[in-house]
Amino acid sequence: MNKKREKLAIIGVSLVLGLILSVQFKTINKTVGNGVLPTQRAQELANEVSKLKSEKELLTKQLEELENKVEQYEKEGISHDTYAENLYKDAMKYRMLAGYTDVHGPGIILEINDPPIDPQISDSYGIVDELDLLLQVISVLNAADAEAISINDQRYTSFTEIVRAGNHIEINGVSTGAPIVIKAIGNPDTLESALNIKWGIVWQLRNYDYVVNLTQNQDIKIERYRKAKEFIYAKPVEEE
Amino acid sequence: MLSLLKKNKWWGDNMKEFNPKLTIGIFSALVGILFASQVKMNIQMVTPVTINSIQRLELEIKSLRTEVEDLKLNIEDKQNYLTLIEDSNHSEKNIISVLEDERDKNMLLAGFKTVEGPGVEIVMFDNINSDELSFDFNDGIIHDVDMQNILNDLRVAGAEAISINGERVLSFSDIKCAGPVIRVNGRSLGTPFIITAIGDPKLLMASVSAPGTYAEMLTKVYGIGIQPYTKDKLVIPAYSGDFSYSYAKTVQ
Repeated sequence: MNKKREKLAIIGVSLVLGLILSVQFKTINKTVGNGVLPTQRAQELANEVSKLKSEKELLTKQLEELENKVEQYEKEGISHDTYAENLYKDAMKYRMLAGYTDVHGPGIILEINDPPIDPQISDSYGIVDELDLLLQVISVLNAADAEAISINDQRYTSFTEIVRAGNHIEINGVSTGAPIVIKAIGNPDTLESALNIKWGIVWQLRNYDYVVNLTQNQDIKIERYRKAKEFIYAKPVEEE
Repeated sequence: MLSLLKKNKWWGDNMKEFNPKLTIGIFSALVGILFASQVKMNIQMVTPVTINSIQRLELEIKSLRTEVEDLKLNIEDKQNYLTLIEDSNHSEKNIISVLEDERDKNMLLAGFKTVEGPGVEIVMFDNINSDELSFDFNDGIIHDVDMQNILNDLRVAGAEAISINGERVLSFSDIKCAGPVIRVNGRSLGTPFIITAIGDPKLLMASVSAPGTYAEMLTKVYGIGIQPYTKDKLVIPAYSGDFSYSYAKTVQ
């Protein structure tokens, strides 16, 4: 009787062990790919990341060179014509308004760190779960006459979407996550007080245990919008 | 255990007899060695490879790819523009038309041109049945956050131009919404609020009516009226305010 029970127990344990092993194996296979060790796959991916990064750097440099050349040509072309000069100024003004130029100026930097993980509560939450709060920060900044805004170095434009993708946030199609750094150019005092007002957005964030850091800065640099946007549906109406 | 040993049952009465305990012992040792070697292998790497880290890398690659793709498009764009200017350098007239085109293109992207195209028109109004489930008078009213979420959803669906009650919404538009009045670009507009968006009508429609969207939650839970209609032709006016930079400067 005793022996039988012992055997049964061992059979049970072996079955469970076998199941666990096969499940583990299957899940790893699914994410990593068939017949590859996870370490190998990670190596491969890391290689690709560094390759893409260097490609991005190269292309950025190329674009910069082109832009300099264009500017040079433009300036040459307009040098002896006031009408052309005004046209050029207008073109640049609207390019800036569309968010296609790097800008700098005084403003504020708002850093939002996720709440520290409380070991007593297993369920942690972060800014990814509460994108509303980011939208509210943008709204407050706009109400305080911010002239340019970026979130984790992604320029906020009229086409910028903030959307959750798994454990990450996608802004302008680029995935990012906590900590969130929002930069805004404008009157630093106005911007700061608008955010800091009692029961305001910073108060609210702190109330939810986010670690918030708000500083004024005399020279903030905000990068341009990088997406090449082309209207497919909206066509300009010719005004008389 | 002791009694087992005393009875000399540990190794069995006869050594040659098949002994399950011995086999199990050997197999356990084997499994242990396998596990140990597996663990050792990971320790050799500086950081242990987890499924999470692999997924993170994959995400990073995906966003890097889109960035590289965008850069390539930008470069192509600039190259075309450069050849245009180079060709025009021979005569005075041409540079002006090139610059005019460039200005118009930038005006269009910045939202300073009236545009038309297909899209959706969304009529929004506060909860009229005050005796419905709303416990709080505030719940049935459209707030700032609601408006921001709906605009964000429309942008996710690729909206190219958006207006509220005929007032163009841009990146720097300030929207304040409380009760029967909404303030857009500093102008007060009354109910019902009509949001107009130009883009792919199907996608835009889905972003404000599909299950699980913010708009659906507003209608189902708070009883706020949201009625989207697809339209073949909508007109969205240019930004009418005067926005000028007093702090931001272009980086030279």
